[in-house]
Amino acid sequence: MKDKYKRILTDIGITVLVISVFFCFSLILHKGLGASELVTPLFVLAVFLVSLLTHGYAYGILSALISVLAVNFAFTFPFFAFNFAIHENIISALILIIVTIAASTLTTKIKNQEKVRARAEKEKLRADLLRAVSHDLRTPLTAIYGASSTLLENYEAIEEDSQKDILKGIQNDSIWLIRMVENLLSVTKLEREGVHLLKSPVVLEELVDSVLAKFKKHYPEREITLSLPEEFIVLSADAMLAQQVILNLLENAEQHATGLTELSLSVSVSGNNAVFSVKDDGCGIDSEKLKTIFSGYYMEEKAVKDNQKRCMGIGLSVCAAIIRAHGGEIEARNRKTGGMEFRFTLELEENIDE
Amino acid sequence: MNNKYKILLIEDEENIRKFVTALLEVHGYQVLTAKTAEGGISMFSSYLPDLVILDLGLPDKDGTECLQEIRKSFTTPCIVLSARSGEADKVEALDMGANDYVTKPFGSAELLARVRGLLRTNSPRAKEGKLPEGKFETGELVMDYDARKVFLSGAEIHLTQTEFNIVALLSAHFGKVLTYSTIIREIWGYSDMGSIKKLQVNMANIRRKLGIKPGDDRFISNELGVGYRMHADGE
Repeated sequence: MKDKYKRILTDIGITVLVISVFFCFSLILHKGLGASELVTPLFVLAVFLVSLLTHGYAYGILSALISVLAVNFAFTFPFFAFNFAIHENIISALILIIVTIAASTLTTKIKNQEKVRARAEKEKLRADLLRAVSHDLRTPLTAIYGASSTLLENYEAIEEDSQKDILKGIQNDSIWLIRMVENLLSVTKLEREGVHLLKSPVVLEELVDSVLAKFKKHYPEREITLSLPEEFIVLSADAMLAQQVILNLLENAEQHATGLTELSLSVSVSGNNAVFSVKDDGCGIDSEKLKTIFSGYYMEEKAVKDNQKRCMGIGLSVCAAIIRAHGGEIEARNRKTGGMEFRFTLELEENIDE
Repeated sequence: MNNKYKILLIEDEENIRKFVTALLEVHGYQVLTAKTAEGGISMFSSYLPDLVILDLGLPDKDGTECLQEIRKSFTTPCIVLSARSGEADKVEALDMGANDYVTKPFGSAELLARVRGLLRTNSPRAKEGKLPEGKFETGELVMDYDARKVFLSGAEIHLTQTEFNIVALLSAHFGKVLTYSTIIREIWGYSDMGSIKKLQVNMANIRRKLGIKPGDDRFISNELGVGYRMHADGE
């Protein structure tokens, strides 16, 4: 609501500014240089610019009408008086209005196309998710269902060690399901709030603290090498979603980087952005697969073995969707020394000094 | 004769009720259960439990109503079970008087730690609106309220007045999550646009001075977007 109000104000501002600048310029040309034949094309340009820079038809048409009146009033004979009797004036007025409508239609079309593209991207993410979910949920559910019935029906016959093993399996599969559901929740949140994420000031240290606390719960063995800037950093982000991104990247390394011994998270500041980097020293990834790593690629793979690499594509495409919705960038690359690096940016909160 | 802590569990999901009951009983607590908010309130007034575990999504009423009903006359610690993971819901429940929350799905260790924390420390010292007197100890951390000093492993930690007040407030409500707005109201008495940031800066300094590194989960834990909680080392 507030955004809409703001947009209207900006549009009015643009209209007034453009028209008055061009009016003054025309006045100088007309009075100073006597080049009054330039006045009409100048106003055509002004109207075109307004249509291009504002939203919808209203401002363009409004400025066309103002321009017609201005040209008629100030720059055509009789000067500084209205005169609609002259055919030329009426024709130039018509031309201006046609230009406006054409330009506005064009820009509206372009804007709509952008919207359609954004929607298509979102649709794709949703379709990918749905596919992955229906494919992937079955495996852990089968395991949980099978394992628990086995235990229930053969309780006495199974040795205690095996019982524990089976229960451990049930727990692992549930943990996996929990993570999947968390990713799904993030996506529905993105869908609901769309481009206008609920950003709030998030203290970097607190964000990292809460990510690491969560990570430790699932992987108590892993020590993460941490490197944060000395100063007090505040990001502008949706805290829960930002947390999900870092968690997904860390867990992705933990699950898929074969031979992982060192996992690190570092954050640095570059301009108005915080740059996050998650590095591992695992097996890395084929450069072919790297290209599609954020788009839920693994469904296309021919030999998907059940159980293996599940969740990978989804976790990363959720990361990408979240970062893009924040207006940040995310990239993945193989490190020269082996392993992978994921980098993404999040905007800093302005005026920290208050 | 029976000196077990009594815990009232108000939860409509049978499976969750079963496993939480089993978990608590194994750890030596006496468990009372209720399936509805109405049932829970009547159980509460007849048995006066030492702690309440309350599900927010109950069939007859919202769990928060149950919480308000209890808070009218009791300060019994309440842990809220919530399937909602949004910060706003947590803040609402905490502001209504919940001491802590656990988000579903939760693990047994997580729930037990919260129960232990709250039962151990619901000391009469933790009165609202008043700074405590005497001394407070948790693990290696010692607070001397009268001398306004803090010691970690025997060495004095130099905190500013405001930092000390924040730590004192958290320790007075040991185990309880205090929301940003609660802390700001208690420490500065008023709140404005910048006060959450002011609190966060102070908190960053406190954590640094106490040597708490991100992910450590020592003494003071940060509940992202909600508030802070002081707890026993390692819990």
